[in-house]
Amino acid sequence: MPVDDRHGDFESALRPLWLRARSGDDAAYRQALGLLASRLRAYLKRRLSGYPDEVEDLVQETLLALHLKRGTYDPALPVSAWAVAIARHKLVDLWRRRARRDSLHDAIDDVDEQLLAAEPDDCGARRDLQTLFDALPQAQRQAIELTKLGGLSVAEAAARTGASESAIKVQVHRGLKRLAALVRADPFAEPPGKVRQQPGPLEPGMSRPVHQRSK
Amino acid sequence: MKTDALVDMLARDAGPVPRALAARRLSPAAIAGLLASAAIAITCFGAIPAQMFSTAVPWTKMGYAGALALAAGWWTARLSRPAAPIARPRRMTVMVLLAMAVVGGVSLASTPAGDRLAALLGKSWSTCPWSVLALSLPALAASLWAVRGLAPTRLRSAGFAAGLLAGSVGAFGYSLSCPEASPAFVAVWYTLGIALTGSVGAILGPRVLRW
Repeated sequence: MPVDDRHGDFESALRPLWLRARSGDDAAYRQALGLLASRLRAYLKRRLSGYPDEVEDLVQETLLALHLKRGTYDPALPVSAWAVAIARHKLVDLWRRRARRDSLHDAIDDVDEQLLAAEPDDCGARRDLQTLFDALPQAQRQAIELTKLGGLSVAEAAARTGASESAIKVQVHRGLKRLAALVRADPFAEPPGKVRQQPGPLEPGMSRPVHQRSK
Repeated sequence: MKTDALVDMLARDAGPVPRALAARRLSPAAIAGLLASAAIAITCFGAIPAQMFSTAVPWTKMGYAGALALAAGWWTARLSRPAAPIARPRRMTVMVLLAMAVVGGVSLASTPAGDRLAALLGKSWSTCPWSVLALSLPALAASLWAVRGLAPTRLRSAGFAAGLLAGSVGAFGYSLSCPEASPAFVAVWYTLGIALTGSVGAILGPRVLRW
C-alpha cells in the first residue's frame, strides 16, 4: 500500500522512528511520541478552538491511547493516519461526554439560591496532599505513591504491585489528572462512569459546580 | 502532568510491540466460541447420524460457515484497527454470501417444481435461525471482547462484523445437529440466523466496544 502523500514530510520523519520503536527502541519511541504530541496538539487545537483548556488533556489522552493500542498499528498504513484516526475517536468521545455533561446543567434560574451561598472556605485542608490522595481510587493512589513519591521505576512498581507496566502507567496518568482536577474542581477532567467513585472524605467542604451537586 | 513527562513515562521500558495482535485476539475467541456452540448443539439438539457425514450435506454447511467466518473475521480484524482499509474483506464477505445463494438457487432449480417449497422450508425453518443465533452467543461475547481490546473506531460496523463472525461460528456448530439436507435451506435460514447475530452485534457495538 502506498504511503499517503498528504502526510508528506511529517510521515517520512515519523515512520522510521515508529518502526524502530516497534522493535523495542525506547529512544526512538520517545522521539516518535514527541513528534506525535506536537502534531496532535495542532490537530486538536483546530478542532477544539472553543475549549483551549481541553486541548492538552486530550493530547495526553490520545498519547496514552496510542501507547496502549500500539499493537493495532499496521505497517502497511501511514503512522500518522493511524494516529489521527485514534485522535478523532478520542475527540468524538469527548464531545459525547461533554454533551451528556451539559445536559446535566440546570438553568441558572432554577437553581436553589441557598446552593450559591458562599461555602466555608477550607483551602488549607483542600490542598492537603493526603486528603486529596484519599479521594483517589486505590490503584491510582498506589501507582502514584510508588512511582512519584517512592521514586520507583514503572517496572519496579509493576513488580511490587503485580500489575502490568502499562497498567501502572495508566494509573499514574489517570491519578495525576484526577488530582489536578480535584485541585481545580474541574468538572470535565474525568469522564463520568470511567472512574466513578463514591464521594470521598473530600466532599463536605469542597466547592463543586452546581450541576454535580444536583445529581 | 506535563505532556513531556507523560511521553517520557510511556517510552521508558516500553519494549517491543506485540505483533499480529488482531489475529492473536480474534482466533482464540472464535475457536472458544466454536467449541462452545458445538458442545451446546450436540448436548441440546443431539448430533446428526454418522452416515450423514458420507454425504455432501454437512460439509456444505460447514464449508459455508467456515468460509464466512474467515471472511467476516478478516473484516472484523480490519475494523478493529484504526484507519485500516476494509473494502476487500467486505467484498469477500459478500462473495461468500452470494456463492451460497448461487449454490442454493441451483439446487432449488434442479428440484422438481412440486418439491421446491418442501426443500426450502424443510422441517425446521422456523427454529433454525433462532438456534443459530442462540448457538452464536458465546462466540459473540468472545469476539466483542476481543475487538474491544483492539482499537475499533467504527463501533457499529465493528459490532456487525463481529456479529457475522460469531453467527458463522454458531452456524458451524449448528451444522453438527441440523437434519436438513437442501443447500437452499442453508442459503436462506442459516444466512438469516447469521444476519440476526450480526444485527445483535451492530446494536451492541456502540455500547460495549467503547474504549
